[in-house]
Amino acid sequence: MIAKTYIEKAEYRNIWVIGELLSGEIQPVTYELIGAARGLADARQCEVWTVLIGAGAGAGAGSLFAYGTDTVVVVDDSRLDGFQDEIEAKVLVRLIKKYKPEVVLCGATTRGRALIPRVAVMANCGLTADCTGLSIDPENGDLLQTRPAFGGNILATIRCPNHRPQMATVRPRVMKALEPDISRVGRIIREGILDTDADKMKRIIEIFHSREGALNLSDAQVIIAGGRGMKGPEGFRLLKDFAFRVGGAVGASRAAVDSGWIPYAHQVGQTGQTVQAKLYIACGISGQIQHLVGMQSCETIVAIDKDPDTPMMQMADIAIVGDIFEIIPEIMNELAKS
Amino acid sequence: MRYHIENKVYHVEILPPKQDSENLERDLDVFAEKYTRVMDSGYCACITDNAMGHLSFQGTEMIEELGLPVLPEQVMIHLNTFHTREDLDNILSYCVEKGIKYLLVVSGDGSERLPRLKPSDIGVQGTESITSVELLQYITREYPGKFVLGVAFNPYEPEDHEFAKLKRKLWAGASFIITQPIIEKNAVVDKLIAEYPDVPVIVEAWMSKKLHLLSDAVGYTIPENTEYDPIATLKLLHQAYPKNGFYLSLLGFKTQYDLIRDLWV
Amino acid sequence: MKIVVCIKQVPASNDAKIDPETKRIIREGQKAIMNPFDTYALEEGVRMKEKYGGEVIALTMGPPKAEAVLREAISAGADRGILLSDRVFGGSDTWATSYALARAIEKIGDVDLVICGKQAIDGDTAQVGPGIASHLDWMQATYVMAVDSIEDNNITVKRMHEDGYDVCELRLPAVLTVVKDINTPRVPTLKGRLAAQKSEIPVLKPEDIGADPDKLGLNGSPTRVVKTQPPEPRQTDTLRIEGSPRECAQALVRELKFRGLV
Repeated sequence: MIAKTYIEKAEYRNIWVIGELLSGEIQPVTYELIGAARGLADARQCEVWTVLIGAGAGAGAGSLFAYGTDTVVVVDDSRLDGFQDEIEAKVLVRLIKKYKPEVVLCGATTRGRALIPRVAVMANCGLTADCTGLSIDPENGDLLQTRPAFGGNILATIRCPNHRPQMATVRPRVMKALEPDISRVGRIIREGILDTDADKMKRIIEIFHSREGALNLSDAQVIIAGGRGMKGPEGFRLLKDFAFRVGGAVGASRAAVDSGWIPYAHQVGQTGQTVQAKLYIACGISGQIQHLVGMQSCETIVAIDKDPDTPMMQMADIAIVGDIFEIIPEIMNELAKS
Repeated sequence: MRYHIENKVYHVEILPPKQDSENLERDLDVFAEKYTRVMDSGYCACITDNAMGHLSFQGTEMIEELGLPVLPEQVMIHLNTFHTREDLDNILSYCVEKGIKYLLVVSGDGSERLPRLKPSDIGVQGTESITSVELLQYITREYPGKFVLGVAFNPYEPEDHEFAKLKRKLWAGASFIITQPIIEKNAVVDKLIAEYPDVPVIVEAWMSKKLHLLSDAVGYTIPENTEYDPIATLKLLHQAYPKNGFYLSLLGFKTQYDLIRDLWV
Repeated sequence: MKIVVCIKQVPASNDAKIDPETKRIIREGQKAIMNPFDTYALEEGVRMKEKYGGEVIALTMGPPKAEAVLREAISAGADRGILLSDRVFGGSDTWATSYALARAIEKIGDVDLVICGKQAIDGDTAQVGPGIASHLDWMQATYVMAVDSIEDNNITVKRMHEDGYDVCELRLPAVLTVVKDINTPRVPTLKGRLAAQKSEIPVLKPEDIGADPDKLGLNGSPTRVVKTQPPEPRQTDTLRIEGSPRECAQALVRELKFRGLV
């Protein structure tokens, strides 16, 4: 909605998080967004609200207060079984018009990225995708949204000066959840679905769950990643052995995926996945910025490369200069000893 | 391939226009002119297949659409693994129909836009991706006796690795070898010739003055000479490799073409 | 079936730097290509036409030179192309872009299906596809990895999610955004390309598609870019390990154990 003046803007209040539910279960990105929203709400001296929409959405509502939310809005209806983006969008727009949040945050997941653009168009407000930084402009209270542009070569800061709410998506594992504080309490508001919300309903025929590939990578604590320096699919077989040995997952740079050495599900970076492992071992990855933005928040980064001067070798915590194909088997030997 | 060496038939590389050409008509004319010149000289035209991963038109469709003549001893088509099975079969059947028998089979460079043959496309099991070895096997199996197949040899790769790969390629049906471009007598190429005295080895000479392009092409840094003279280098290479064939990459048709006529003596 | 495929012309690579003096983005010598994800959308549209009959229209918004991607689309099987090009469209964010495309789709008329790539490689927002569906108030399916069938005005598709996929049926008209898994795009032939060069490509302006100029371009875009900067380098003192492979391995494992990582 258009809101140009101070008075118009003042009608909008509170920071909203759209919860991510899979089969009724609240996903980690929701806690991460609440963590980010808490900081914004403190700066704006307002509340954090979390909206849960879905069949069985009410179940986990009470658990969210500990993570920093003040109010939970629950829309629990059997018609929301499966992912009904058209219905969810209409419900959300109705709630936005009713409660007038100032900011709406949503996970940049396949569901969030389907739902939120639909909402932003209907609510006539701005939307910034894949934000890596969110803050409040102290001068005017606008939300400053930072996101990588041009494959991560540039960080752009975006604002929506004349529209409310201000909407942004954030990828999983970009923000950090707060330590839960079980003494925190809040209120739950229940809202329903109108028949007019559900005029466009998909028929969900089948749902398949598989946690293969994509999720393994983003959940992994240890990632062994390879790039052009792995020279071929044989190189990745070595990395798979290594990953298996350390209980990790295999990641890859875009160059390796484009060469057909490993499927796309393993790609880390701006056009692949963002990962936050405890240990990231980059093997023969030069470290183009589009890759770095996907893995730079890992705790410890190890780089192995023949060339000591690549960006990856410069940014790593530990850099090993040498032949990957000789060093990795030695590392596996060394680990086997202990 | 012996015929080419004995009769001093140069292999002259020609690149078809890129798909994103800004002046396709002109590029088509240039291609036709180069091709015709190579035919008239009695040399062998070697047409690349999406060289360096740049999406380009196929040699076969250039010949078809431009109505170019095919002299069987004078045409070689590069064929890499970045095709759908259907495209691959279209290219191969066209070659059979037109009498194109020389194929240089390489893994090739990919890009976002180029579909790569999947192992399942050509009935291969136990590998993540198709290389020139599997492609050679496919061609020899599906088109027996139709083609004379060549493979690339890269003296800039780790030697053991490259010789092991070459062994697999020859076993898979290759009968001649074209090296990556060299700019002087090369010890690894010498070893190759010594190890395979019965397999025709075609030495690739780098004909561009821009040496950094060669570094890019072979993925290896070659020390940059300030003055690189391709014609003088070709002369020296002929002296170093008197019994080998020659493949000329990035030959300048305007300035160099007339100069090579009497070099191979 | 009348199918519209939305296409974007994007720079071939993302090599962008900031001029330290002017603070402006430098993007020189860039080739423009069809957004790679859109090639999958186009291929899917052409396959549907081949199976069910009908027409495939390639639609883009951009500067006059964006006409090139429409010709490319025609050489890869589209029947015709439409270019939205005018100063007023310039500076549109995803809201205004999806508005303009939606108005053009309405203008084309009787469209059954709109197909987009899942996102463009320059913006990476994935917002325009669902935005078009929203402006048109049509149903949508995003991250589509397979189209199973089209029958009686219903389309059945397989949608990719982080935790697997689902199969769902939606009513036409609808908007799909597709992922790479959906097909292998054909490479245009020289014959097709030569034919495409002769096609007439109409250039439409806001008034031709009945679009409200206040909802286009910078005026119609809720978002504003206020600042661009290079990403901050990660601050770290790199521990360098050199030596024989065995020495390197020993030193690394010792270090990782010390840090409690293995």
